[in-house]
Amino acid sequence: MVTLGPVGETTPATAVTDQGHLRRRIAVPWMVLISLTSVVVVMTLWYVSTEFGWILPIFLPKPITVLQEAQRAFAGGLLLTDVWMSSQRVFLGFALAGVVAIPLGVAMAIWAPAKAILDPFVSLLRPLPSITWIPLTMLWLGIGESQKVAIVFMGSWIYILLYTYESPTRVDPLLIRAARNLGARDLDVMTEVILPGALPGIITGLKVTLAISWSCVLSAEMVAAQSGLGAMIWQAKDWGNLALVLVGMLCISITVLVADQAANLIERLLLPWERNRRH
Amino acid sequence: MPVILSADHVSKVFATGRGDPIVAIDDLSVDIEEGEFVCLLGASGCGKSTMLNMFAGFTQPTQGSVRLRGTPITSIEPRCGMVFQSYALFPWKTVRTNVEFGLKVRGMAKRERRERAQFFIDMVKLTGFEDHYPTELSGGMQQRVTLARLLATDPEVLLMDEPFAALDAMTRQVMQEELLRIHESSRKTTVFITHSIDEALILSSRIVVLSARPGRVKAILDNNLPSPRHVDVQLSPEYAELKKQIWDLVESEVRHHDDTQG
Ligand SMILES: Nc1ncnc2c1ncn2[C@@H]1O[C@H](COP(=O)(O)OP(=O)(O)OP(=O)(O)O)[C@@H](O)[C@H]1O
Ligand SMILES: [Mg+2]
Repeated sequence: MVTLGPVGETTPATAVTDQGHLRRRIAVPWMVLISLTSVVVVMTLWYVSTEFGWILPIFLPKPITVLQEAQRAFAGGLLLTDVWMSSQRVFLGFALAGVVAIPLGVAMAIWAPAKAILDPFVSLLRPLPSITWIPLTMLWLGIGESQKVAIVFMGSWIYILLYTYESPTRVDPLLIRAARNLGARDLDVMTEVILPGALPGIITGLKVTLAISWSCVLSAEMVAAQSGLGAMIWQAKDWGNLALVLVGMLCISITVLVADQAANLIERLLLPWERNRRH
Repeated sequence: MPVILSADHVSKVFATGRGDPIVAIDDLSVDIEEGEFVCLLGASGCGKSTMLNMFAGFTQPTQGSVRLRGTPITSIEPRCGMVFQSYALFPWKTVRTNVEFGLKVRGMAKRERRERAQFFIDMVKLTGFEDHYPTELSGGMQQRVTLARLLATDPEVLLMDEPFAALDAMTRQVMQEELLRIHESSRKTTVFITHSIDEALILSSRIVVLSARPGRVKAILDNNLPSPRHVDVQLSPEYAELKKQIWDLVESEVRHHDDTQG
């Protein structure tokens, strides 16, 4: 809790938050314990059902097999290469989408003709899942890196655009009024009020889109790629190596989780004022 | 003292989607002199905020005119600075950069505006909180930042729309005293909205009582109570008499309003 200076100025709202914090602090160990238990129960079920042959290994491998497979994949360095390849494609496609879509979204928000120009295309392109771009992009770009990046780009930019377009409209009009009352001109209102006010919304959009970008790259890699996590689990399936498929899936989960945490960290750095927001 | 702000036969009508348009202000005229502290007092919904918004240039009258030093106010007027009830601080700016805002958009050099901002931060007793964000401050502190941010731009008129309504009684009293102190030293013309008779009596040099909707001037009373208006003044017969006088005016309005509504 932040100390709030002069005594007697702490509002009832603070007291409520305090209690909330307290309750959460007590509650956390219990919740962690329950989570741990639920994981242990599921793992045990997995272990027991495969060990006693209730489920055949061709449908679900034993935990120990998966562990050994993971060890082998790591030791060969191939797994990390795949993680790196996929991450690279996501990062490039996602960054490109951001560079294109954020300015377009801002333009749409503040200049009606830009919205009129883009609206029909946004409406038409939005319902298309990114995999529907695979035939065209393969025709245009082959099956190299640029094609994977293009899939990520096509699957991501519209979401970034929509979130960016929405965000400035959520800026409190009272703040714009206050800024003008303090002498701000159009450009000041834009750079000092609308853009910073829209930033949290834009960043939320980027975070949501990042997860979408990951699913784009995986489907692109499953269809046509020699490397990357998507290709890896697809190939493992062809070899009948189900344990490796599971290793790949786990690896995808962890990579996306790590990327998400990195995004959260960047968000906190960029929006220091949101950190102590009272709810 | 010369007239600085005036409303001249002002009417404001709001068109509503359904039904009759709402007449918020009807033929209201008032002259506010330089250095005055005027309280606008009236029942809820009688058009006080509407009137203040016209002084700030946020909206224009349907009929009549509002003038600053004789010139009609037709767009947002930075010389009439507004203190909003809900503070309207920029959440992404610290106390310091909030206070610097009006100076920055005027193109003041960084070092100069920092110095000036510090002066006003000290003035509202927020020294040490320069790098805090508004969300880290209590309501009273946030309202003081708003005041400092406005005073730093040196507006000619202060418009205040129930600035202390959301504060607890103790903080409100501290803020009232601070505002009086600031007014004493700067002699800035202030138009202050409230529906607390006590607040009006403690702060003002003149009280404009508005009728129930549509807002018209019901009465204008000079408030010559001696200042500072500490507890002893608040317990004096003069205070009680003035309070009774205003209460009678307001009460007849509230009742009249109830009759026409019910
Ligand atoms: N933008 C608007 N559109 C339509 N009607 C409005 C608008 N603003 C105000 N009104 C109406 O005008 C009347 C006066 O409103 P105003 O906000 O000025 O009252 P007030 O005296 O400030 O009340 P309070 O003390 O509750 O703040 C109200 O009946 C309100 O419904
Ligand atoms: Mg009001």
